[in-house]
Amino acid sequence: MIQPTGACVKAPVSRYDAKRSAARVPLSRVPLYWAALLSPVDITAPLDAAAQVRLIGLVAEAQDRQAFALLFKHFAPRLKAFHLRAGLADGAAEELAQETMLLLWRKAAGFDPARAGAATWVFTITRNLRIDAARRRQSPLPGQLPAWPEADPSPSAEALILENERAIRMRGALDTLTAAQRHVIELSFFADTPHSSIATSLKLPLGTVKSRIRQALTRLREQLGGEA
Amino acid sequence: MSPRHHPTHHPADATLLRLAAGTLNAGLAFVAQAHMHGCAQCRTRIAAFEAVGGALLDSQPPATLAPTAFAAVLARLDETPAPAPAPRQAKLNLPPDTVLPPILATCDIGPSLWLGRGVRFNKLRLPGTAQAGAPQTNVILVRAAANRPIFRHTHTAQELTLILRGGYTDITGQYATGDTAESDATLLHQPRADAEGCICLLAFEGRLLLTGWLGWCQRRLGG
Ligand SMILES: [Zn+2]
Repeated sequence: MIQPTGACVKAPVSRYDAKRSAARVPLSRVPLYWAALLSPVDITAPLDAAAQVRLIGLVAEAQDRQAFALLFKHFAPRLKAFHLRAGLADGAAEELAQETMLLLWRKAAGFDPARAGAATWVFTITRNLRIDAARRRQSPLPGQLPAWPEADPSPSAEALILENERAIRMRGALDTLTAAQRHVIELSFFADTPHSSIATSLKLPLGTVKSRIRQALTRLREQLGGEA
Repeated sequence: MSPRHHPTHHPADATLLRLAAGTLNAGLAFVAQAHMHGCAQCRTRIAAFEAVGGALLDSQPPATLAPTAFAAVLARLDETPAPAPAPRQAKLNLPPDTVLPPILATCDIGPSLWLGRGVRFNKLRLPGTAQAGAPQTNVILVRAAANRPIFRHTHTAQELTLILRGGYTDITGQYATGDTAESDATLLHQPRADAEGCICLLAFEGRLLLTGWLGWCQRRLGG
């Protein structure tokens, strides 16, 4: 059995037939997959955005279980932490983390790295699962958001690089928010409450919360060069 | 929703942020999604908000998983999920040039109900919900003939409308194909269909309160 543990290993390529994939993958994507063959992945460190994209590509193209193991090692504990932070019990958070990884495996071919970073894509999978779970419990949460239509069949290499850069810049942009701004943004994600409830829980006027969110979003927009 | 239309009225930042975070009411989320199919601008906006979610996920300090977690997932990788049942939809007889957002194909559409002269509506049952009008998932498809008042109403909470064909005008402005209109409990309005008539999706939180003599229709809306 493959375990998601161990020291620094080469990117998983064992069952990955590069020739076959080069024939099936749009040409513009090939350089990234070649990079996956050549660059080692240090699994003791968190996976960076580019490694995440490469590994999901390996899962999509070759159902590569070693690539999946590395993705599991990175994302599953963070997914569980995310749901714990959002107030789920340990068992429910664990289950959502596992279900998300299972869907990552099944949906990997639908991942379009030109449209969203890998972590963002994983976030949308787990968000939809959380919505489903909440609806099954009949709590007042939204319906599942289906996948976006019209995937671009052959994103350019530039588009892929831009999206990776955006994921990295978003991490940096979050760090430039003031503590108060970051707090309201995190509450928007970690609390299933409208802004009026956030205002109540922070004992702030609704207008203050709304303007803080507006300031935070403006700030993120500036950091991202006006694309937010 | 056709490519020549560029919507000019879009959901607010706060609405899209809640949609991205997964905390928006199901009905409103459904209508916002339908709008985004025809609105590249909002797809870009929400992608940025979802990237915030991705960055928050990626920056979580890892939690401890059950020791069997990885083996449990590996053991299920070869399972084939059961396909979702096909939705049941009443025949709508829409004008042939109506372009419906693909998300409409995922829900049940109930029979046409009368809502005043020249105005009909159908209840939608969103995928995964037990019945139409389940709490937090109130969505209706409204069809109004040319120049007809749609219905005079207010709501107990937020409302989101998407124009699928034609347009309407109310005290807040003119809304055309692809546009969304957002309003809250403070607004009492009576939209009037434009000369082409109006087909729209309408999602509302809480209850839709019809005013005037149409109020009796209220029970048809499950309100
Ligand atoms: Zn829009």
